[in-house]
Amino acid sequence: MELKGVYGMKKILVVDDVEINREILREILQDEYEIVEAENGKKALEVIDAQKEELIAILLDLVMPEMDGFETLEVLKKNKIVERIPVLVITGDHDVNVEKRCFDLGSCDFIPKPFNNQIIKRRVRNMAEFFENKLQLEKKVEEQTAVLRKAFYTLQVQADRLKKRNQDIIDMLGTVVEYRNLESGEHIQRVKDYTRILAECAMEEFPEYELTPDKIDTIVAASALHDVGKITIPDKILLKPGRLTQEEFEYMKSHTLRGCEILDSIESDWEPESKKASYDICRHHHERYDGKGYPDGLAGEDIPLSAQLVSVADVYDALVNERCYKDAYSPQDAYHMIINGECGVFSPKLMEAFRKVRKQFEELAKR
Amino acid sequence: MTVNDCYDKMGANYQNVLGRFGSESMVKRFALKFLQDDSFDQLKDALVKQDAETAFRAAHTLKGLCMNLGFDSLYEVSSALTENLRGRQLNGWESLFEKVEQRYLIVREALEELQASE
Repeated sequence: MELKGVYGMKKILVVDDVEINREILREILQDEYEIVEAENGKKALEVIDAQKEELIAILLDLVMPEMDGFETLEVLKKNKIVERIPVLVITGDHDVNVEKRCFDLGSCDFIPKPFNNQIIKRRVRNMAEFFENKLQLEKKVEEQTAVLRKAFYTLQVQADRLKKRNQDIIDMLGTVVEYRNLESGEHIQRVKDYTRILAECAMEEFPEYELTPDKIDTIVAASALHDVGKITIPDKILLKPGRLTQEEFEYMKSHTLRGCEILDSIESDWEPESKKASYDICRHHHERYDGKGYPDGLAGEDIPLSAQLVSVADVYDALVNERCYKDAYSPQDAYHMIINGECGVFSPKLMEAFRKVRKQFEELAKR
Repeated sequence: MTVNDCYDKMGANYQNVLGRFGSESMVKRFALKFLQDDSFDQLKDALVKQDAETAFRAAHTLKGLCMNLGFDSLYEVSSALTENLRGRQLNGWESLFEKVEQRYLIVREALEELQASE
């Protein structure tokens, strides 16, 4: 055995009021360990308090004056010492209830009387090694958890940055649309507001849509880009006061696809959900539920929900406001025109939600 | 006198205790320590003073020591007395204590003889 000198040896505390018992245990264990003794629970707690870092096991008698083994165990359990240092109870009463109580209080094994040289050595060694391994594993887990937590934090910071980046892209493009004075800035803001009202109602009424507050935020932000393709349409078509010719109208319809081209040309980091919502809205906000819309003639639920929501919002706002080609309708008229299918065909579910939020739409329209 | 003789004299199994401790010298050393232990005196004293708590603890200690040191005959009677006192009531202990004292004196005598023969 390697001799490390008294101070380098692993320490064991023996707590017993009977001197001979302590001496026998010392004799059995002193080859491998440094032995510290205490004659009752109170003294033991003092020793543990001062030397808990060095102790690798505690052998504890039960019947003692001053403070007995059970009271000592209670304190050690409360202090969580029993989780770090194995406590082996010395007992000669082979009583199942006593043993059960010791286990409940956190002791991990017993030193049975009468003492047996070999068995005591083995039990102490087993428990000391077991705890050493256990503590090492716990330490490793703790270290790895810290690493993971740090990585998670980094990811979170990057996610936040990405989110901000998305908003920047959308705001930039929105500014371009406004700057060209294609739609007023108010129109974009109102479409966002109508979209949110309708989406929140749909989230409440139709769980099958699987909308969440986060998804709604993404859709609402992306809705600002629904007409971004219009910056490529010449003024003579875009701002023409009268009816468009067939050819002009076909060109006008291409603003959906042209918008997508613009979005595709953005090669910056863009959160996939945000990019998809922007793309879907740009391309599909003129589709009709009966399949007769453009550019792809999608029908029913093949039309992305984000585009369906923005479509209702966009049509409603176009109706209640004056445009170069038309006067403004009253909110009441606009409501009926949409419900009666005069301005497009929408999902029955969204029409149900639209009925429910009629008042909120009208209040917004009056501003 | 050998340690084996000493254990024979006190009515105890030497081979058992040798098996547990591993060497004769260790058995002898611990057995002789018993001469310095005062738990029997404490027991007697407590019983005279009608101090049930101290009496129980002393009896328990004595029992535990005898178990460890393999003093079988003294262990048996001190164990019976410990159980009698466990409830901390002083009832019917007299005859049990009498046996303990009897055996204790035999053990002491044997140990003193062993010590003297060194």
